[in-house]
Amino acid sequence: MVDSPRLDGAALDRRALLRSAILLVGGTMAGLPDIAFATAPTKAFFALAERAVLDSVCAALIPRTDTPGALEAGVPAFIDAMMTNWAAPKTAERFRSVLTSIDNAARTETGKGYAALTATERDARLAAFDAAAFAAGDRDWRRFKGLAMTGYYLSEPGATQELRYELVPGVWEPAVKMGPDTRAWAG
Amino acid sequence: MSFDAIVIGSGMSGGWAAKELTERGLKTLVIERGRHLEHGSDYTDSLSPWELDNYGQVSEAEIEADYEVQSKCYAFSSATKHLWAKDSDHPYTTPEGKPFYWIRGYHLGGRSIMWARQSYRLSEMDFESNAKDGYGTDWPIRYPDMAKWYDHVETFAGISGSLEGLSQLPDGKYLPPMALTPVEAEFGRKMEAAFPTRKLITGRCAHLTAPTPEHEALGRGACQYRSLCERGCSYGAYFSSLSATLPAAKNTGNLTIVTDAIAHSIIYDPKTGKASGVRVIDQNTKVGTVYDAKLIFLCASTFGTAQILLNSTSEAFPTGLANRSDMVGRNVTDHISGMGAAGTYPGFEDIYHHGRRPNGFYVPRYRNVTEPGDGYTRGFGFQGRGLRSSWQRGIGDVGTGAALKTKLRKPGPWSLNLNGFGEMLPRPENRVTLHPTRTDKWGIPILHIDVSLGPQDRKMIDQASADAKAMLELAGCTDITQTRHYGGLGLGIHEMGTARMGKDPKTSVLNGYNQAHDVPNLFVTDGSCMASSGCQNPSLTYMAMSARGAHHAVEFLRAGKA
Repeated sequence: MVDSPRLDGAALDRRALLRSAILLVGGTMAGLPDIAFATAPTKAFFALAERAVLDSVCAALIPRTDTPGALEAGVPAFIDAMMTNWAAPKTAERFRSVLTSIDNAARTETGKGYAALTATERDARLAAFDAAAFAAGDRDWRRFKGLAMTGYYLSEPGATQELRYELVPGVWEPAVKMGPDTRAWAG
Repeated sequence: MSFDAIVIGSGMSGGWAAKELTERGLKTLVIERGRHLEHGSDYTDSLSPWELDNYGQVSEAEIEADYEVQSKCYAFSSATKHLWAKDSDHPYTTPEGKPFYWIRGYHLGGRSIMWARQSYRLSEMDFESNAKDGYGTDWPIRYPDMAKWYDHVETFAGISGSLEGLSQLPDGKYLPPMALTPVEAEFGRKMEAAFPTRKLITGRCAHLTAPTPEHEALGRGACQYRSLCERGCSYGAYFSSLSATLPAAKNTGNLTIVTDAIAHSIIYDPKTGKASGVRVIDQNTKVGTVYDAKLIFLCASTFGTAQILLNSTSEAFPTGLANRSDMVGRNVTDHISGMGAAGTYPGFEDIYHHGRRPNGFYVPRYRNVTEPGDGYTRGFGFQGRGLRSSWQRGIGDVGTGAALKTKLRKPGPWSLNLNGFGEMLPRPENRVTLHPTRTDKWGIPILHIDVSLGPQDRKMIDQASADAKAMLELAGCTDITQTRHYGGLGLGIHEMGTARMGKDPKTSVLNGYNQAHDVPNLFVTDGSCMASSGCQNPSLTYMAMSARGAHHAVEFLRAGKA
């Protein structure tokens, strides 16, 4: 089911984490992208349980439809790596607190953690959380959402299968008539 | 080591000086403080978004430690980080409450690698501005002195644009213009109908929309509409020192380049009354070297040039070389920014664009041209774009799940923005000086930048911002956001004025040939030379100044007048 793991320690840890996290939420390993980072962090930022919430939130935010979703595009791993590679410690804690809020709200209201709910329940909860967060002007959620969406729409599957991206357009056409399935340019 | 000419700096101006001097037979040394950058192989323009470090984000810790100022630049990302000068290595000071964002990069080619490529001529009105309103001192030249040099540099550089017949924005020698989107064109028509003397034109930009044989002989190719320009272009499709002027200079066989060589000071020989050479410090080894030359072109950028002149003290020039006027370092201007508006433009739901156009539209100056300005004497232009929004609009909005995906799969509504660039008044109290005590890693006194907007400048920001909003409103835009702030000095990235040209050696540093009044073999052709700034992006003018200055310098040298 899974490619034999690379012997590189960092990749192995990351993939092992990814594997367990994905399996926790009933995902599949098929099409797992090779995430190219110039400096791959050697250790995960999020604890296993937090990763499960992260994976579930990402999957609910941008699900697989007729095109890959956030999980398939490696968004949770991207966010985890960004906590080490990009975020200052204070920022990373704000991201962590978003996951905690979502998870705690689920536990308080259902007795179960967010990742343990059904897909339908998770979708509904996230939609409600999103609406409430916007109404309240919650900057942490907005930043989290922004990073997740960046991680999806700038990923290869997101940019080229869901949307369209050309490294070298070669032309400038200012006014093209759209067809029934014209996709947005990812960049 | 001895040369006919030394050019200090390899950027927009230095590259042109090197080309024009070597083409006239002068053995020329270009001294560049930064590292070598190889055209093509050192560029990151082959990377797709998912291949960029952190998908383009630079780490917060690194920004805080090393790029606090540079990160404010729109073109700063993990794809271009290496092209911006590390603030931690290159500190400067400003007075409390007077921030100035000094945005630059130190490598072969300088900011000619990362520039926005907008290329407009100054007009007769601009050269007359100081004389008319009394700010600054009169230019020693007028537009006719520059016209054929603009022709010359535009032809070589390759500038795309349209002929418009506007007196405040002279036409040039252009390659085919880039087309406007239908939204931009319609907005232009609505604006022109409401304000018959305002005009919207396609941007004039240094891109090869149709390379000439001369461009192709240098290995340059046509623009591919990728808009990755600030990373460097492996097609050589936009003008830079690396794509165009330095290769041309190299072809003469008269060019020597030394990189990692920081110019400490220019040596003055009181017996000859001329500059004799340049003291240089290797940025890595800190070893000092002296290079001698008969002619020196100082093209180290506006603040870099001022720093070198101020640091070149001697008995003859106790306040800095060529500084008998006390004007070196003074009269700093930047293009005023922080004024504009953006909104959603109605209609055209079934039309989309293809390709990433590295250009937009331009609204040339109309205030104090055909319409009066409220509380200020000069004017501003707007750069802008009308394009469809994409997935990013989902970040700031409610929506999750399959519905979010479905919505963002299609292009969003059309978005129109106007971004003002305004002419700041030159005032002598706006100046850079050498810090009295602090030095950089190489022992050179760092700069203290003391520049602030004046009351007229603020009034311009107020009206430009209001104008932008009004134009979007009349065009039927919705969800309009307006920008109006006074805190962006430096972010025009067009700092100028520190060694201004003028008729009177008592109040200016350079004469009408960019020749230092006090030192006949010293020429300055970068942004320092500007007696006023106009509102037009200045790089094209620096190119013309450099070519013209080099032409006259060689004539003077051969006639014994330099």
